[in-house]
Amino acid sequence: MLKKYPTVRYISQRAIWYFLTFLIALSLNFFLPRFGSDPVDTMMAQAAGGLSLEKAKEMEEGLRLSYGLIVVDKQGNIVRDTVIKIDTVVVRDTIFTTVKESVADSLGNALVNERREIESIVLRETLIERPEAVARKASVVSQLFNYIRQVFKGDLGKSFENGKPVSEIILQALPWTLALQFPAILLGWIFGNSLGALAAYKRGVFDKALFPFALLMSSVPFFVFGMALVYFFGIIWEFFPVAGGVDKSLLSPNFFEFISSAAYHYVLPFFSIFLILAGGQAIGMRSMGIYELGTDYIKYAKWLGLKETRVLAYLFRNAMLPQLTGLALSIGQMVGGALITEMIFSYPGLGFAMLNAITSNDYPVIQGVTLLITTSVLLANFTVDILIALLDPRVKASLSMDSK
Amino acid sequence: MRFMKKVACGVFVLSFAFLMSCEKKEGGSIPRNETLWLAGSQWGDPNTFNPLVEPWLVAWPVNDRFNLMYEPLIAYNSLTGANEPMLGTLISHDTEKIVVEMQPEAEWSDGKKVTSTDVKFIYELGRRFSHPVFSGFGEFISEITVDTVNAKELVTFVVNKEDRNNPLAILDMLQAIRIAPAHVFEQYLADNDNDFNKTKDIKCDKDPVVSGPYTLIDYNNERIILKRRDDYWGNKVLYDGKLPVPKYIVHPIYKNNDNFAVNLQKGNLDASMNYIPRIDEKRKEGVSTWYNAPPYYVPGSIHFLYLNNTKAPLSDKNFRRAVAAAIDYAAISRRALSNYAPEMKPGLIMHSGLEKKFYDEAEVVKHSVPLGDKEFAKKLLEQSGYKPVFDDKDVLKHTLDPSGNILQPISIKAPSGWSDWESIVKMVVEQLRSVGIDARTGFVDGGQYWTSLPSGDFDMIMRKPPIAVTASTPWSRFNAVLSSRNWVPASGGSNMYENEGRYNNPSDPSYNPRVEELLKAIPLIVDQDSLKAAYVELNNIFLEDQPVIPVCHLPEEYYQFSTKVWVGWPTEKSPFAPPQLPWVGVGRNTLWRLELAGK
Repeated sequence: MLKKYPTVRYISQRAIWYFLTFLIALSLNFFLPRFGSDPVDTMMAQAAGGLSLEKAKEMEEGLRLSYGLIVVDKQGNIVRDTVIKIDTVVVRDTIFTTVKESVADSLGNALVNERREIESIVLRETLIERPEAVARKASVVSQLFNYIRQVFKGDLGKSFENGKPVSEIILQALPWTLALQFPAILLGWIFGNSLGALAAYKRGVFDKALFPFALLMSSVPFFVFGMALVYFFGIIWEFFPVAGGVDKSLLSPNFFEFISSAAYHYVLPFFSIFLILAGGQAIGMRSMGIYELGTDYIKYAKWLGLKETRVLAYLFRNAMLPQLTGLALSIGQMVGGALITEMIFSYPGLGFAMLNAITSNDYPVIQGVTLLITTSVLLANFTVDILIALLDPRVKASLSMDSK
Repeated sequence: MRFMKKVACGVFVLSFAFLMSCEKKEGGSIPRNETLWLAGSQWGDPNTFNPLVEPWLVAWPVNDRFNLMYEPLIAYNSLTGANEPMLGTLISHDTEKIVVEMQPEAEWSDGKKVTSTDVKFIYELGRRFSHPVFSGFGEFISEITVDTVNAKELVTFVVNKEDRNNPLAILDMLQAIRIAPAHVFEQYLADNDNDFNKTKDIKCDKDPVVSGPYTLIDYNNERIILKRRDDYWGNKVLYDGKLPVPKYIVHPIYKNNDNFAVNLQKGNLDASMNYIPRIDEKRKEGVSTWYNAPPYYVPGSIHFLYLNNTKAPLSDKNFRRAVAAAIDYAAISRRALSNYAPEMKPGLIMHSGLEKKFYDEAEVVKHSVPLGDKEFAKKLLEQSGYKPVFDDKDVLKHTLDPSGNILQPISIKAPSGWSDWESIVKMVVEQLRSVGIDARTGFVDGGQYWTSLPSGDFDMIMRKPPIAVTASTPWSRFNAVLSSRNWVPASGGSNMYENEGRYNNPSDPSYNPRVEELLKAIPLIVDQDSLKAAYVELNNIFLEDQPVIPVCHLPEEYYQFSTKVWVGWPTEKSPFAPPQLPWVGVGRNTLWRLELAGK
């Protein structure tokens, strides 16, 4: 039916696949933290010391109820099942044993055999059955469906650590992550690619100076680079603050105070991403550029005597296609990639929230953030697919070929 | 490309504008020389400051024994053992009742008096609504009565003789439970149709009604800021009319442990209460502790290796005693704990501080195995029928039990990432193997650790019972380690929140009823000599049975401070307040004594 519109068909096909992937990711996201440990147990072990068994049970049920881990009926009462518990108890049995005793006379001759009963106590372990009303645990399947339903309603649950809604935590942290990562990635990409294209075209001294530097930048792990920045610029020379997103002693600052403090704290984390990314992009663009320089159309353009900037523009446009895919992907992954940068600089973004949640086994927050990461990676890939379909004439051509 | 740039700029500006909208308008950064920077009590995102919410969900300084915003009736001084006055004064306490006189001058920040109504509100809240903390009070307190004598209110807490019969625990409560303004919360309850959960959703973060010397003025996920209340009632009554010196107290929220040490050394942080290894090396940067020499800190709590008393071979008393003898405690303190643990003495009574009066060296030596004596451990194992088997390279292969079966290696659990505990466990494994006990490390994820502890799913496990140094120490420690009041078997999936190693099974023939008798009797003993006799007897039973292994004595809270900005901190030489951060218990007295450095 969509045969006439190959692009629309292509996009809708992609959309269905991505939606399915999203659902699978959602289920995985639900199951992963449910292996092994239980947040209520953690809280109980820390807070329930000295409580009587009944009180401890009451407290545990209250906690499970508040996290939706047990079943309630329509009136909100806890549904209980009677479970037969088997306990080992020790029973004391009195046993009478009959023994024969020889009684001897004064000369040592056996006279009579006397029968006597000896009473003794024997301990014996036995099992008793004891009925106990136990709150019914919500089944994993019902928890899953409940989870998916809630996610589509925008309710990501509440943090185990402080009872704050997860969506609020994400909304609070997301602007920091975006403000740090988006400009760093975008500017790093533009800067790196321009340098790479220039190096490929100019060669000579410029290339010889740039290439080793870019190679070094792209091969240093970004967390090592980040830590080195903290150590030298933060601790040794004290040019920039070591940690945080904004000065902690600011009390209700006005707009300019806030922006200037935030900018001051922004420098180190920004460069830790920017330089590394620019280095990698410059290397990629340089080799793409050198490849494109050897192609016929550039030779033709040069032979025609076109202006250098014009040739460079053609070169850039053609070499950029694979780089563009890389850009979209790194924007998709920026939320996840933020984790380590934010950890090093104690930057109050999403990665930091995630790290905090992981150390305290705060599953709703972990799930909320991973869901966001999954969604943004999927969305970025989807966008790349569409962009390529629209921009790359080769793909466009093959699409219309298919439909014929 | 230009479009992309515009988008980038837009996002940048918008996101900061969003952040800005969370901020109030007042302006300025708070001056360093009027501000005390303290850290270590808040790790996560602060969410609510409501004193009725479960303590683990509430943010500093409302969540624990922090007496800055809300105050308890009395405060326990862990240095002198005195119960110091706060909102009330302890008049008398015996085995029947505890009487507290309310401070007539005490008032809330809205000008209303703090009265017995506020006290009854919080202590009786558990009768009206289900609450994990407040609901337990009824087991200890049967009734709260109020008498007015000479215009002074006397509040009497009657000990619940039928249930717990434990006046010591009530004394603990009086200093742990902070009084909340009844008039404010009754109004909240009335506004919410008596719905307790809705009342708990109120965050109490805007102009809260408090009784303490500081109040909350601002917070976000990077710090919490408190400001001094110059009209605090206690300045006149408790502190000779002086004001606390710092005008602001800031609690920066660090997630990374390295931040503490770095900021202390740079003078950005004035004091912290977290574990910093090798504190001695930071001394030249102006970082100090209570003592200038090892152990640097004042010991207050014991870290244990809990043993599973229901599982062979640890169900064998002699095997447990051999484990206690085999461990080299001095080496652990030296190599794993930066010398923070003082010399180890056996038993559950510390040989330092206020507990020292119950410690009887002669009795301990008589009943305990010699600590760190490998030959003794080897001999004891041999006598009890355990036999180590070595391979041809002299490496332990396994251990045989008395009937000749190969023992499963004993796994010692600890949460992974807790570096001090991890190194303790590694050393214990090494030492146990050297006497012929087949042991191995079992580092598990934090969540798994907390699950296996109460359910008894372990051979050996590192554990620090959550016990504060209070009026009830060391009884509370004995109770946490030995009590079989709530004994349930490990197999049935039931949890125990004290005596997790399941010592002294009441339905087992080896049950020793004397342990429970003493645990019940000690809180009621008034005469000091009989009290010591009871403690010594209980400690002797512990030493004979060795149900758990005390590994090291460490501080209840680490307390280190920097003298770069503020001086006048309490230390061994100037012990006017206990070694606590100036917000815990009576540690807050420090706030009235601090001075700016170089003045």
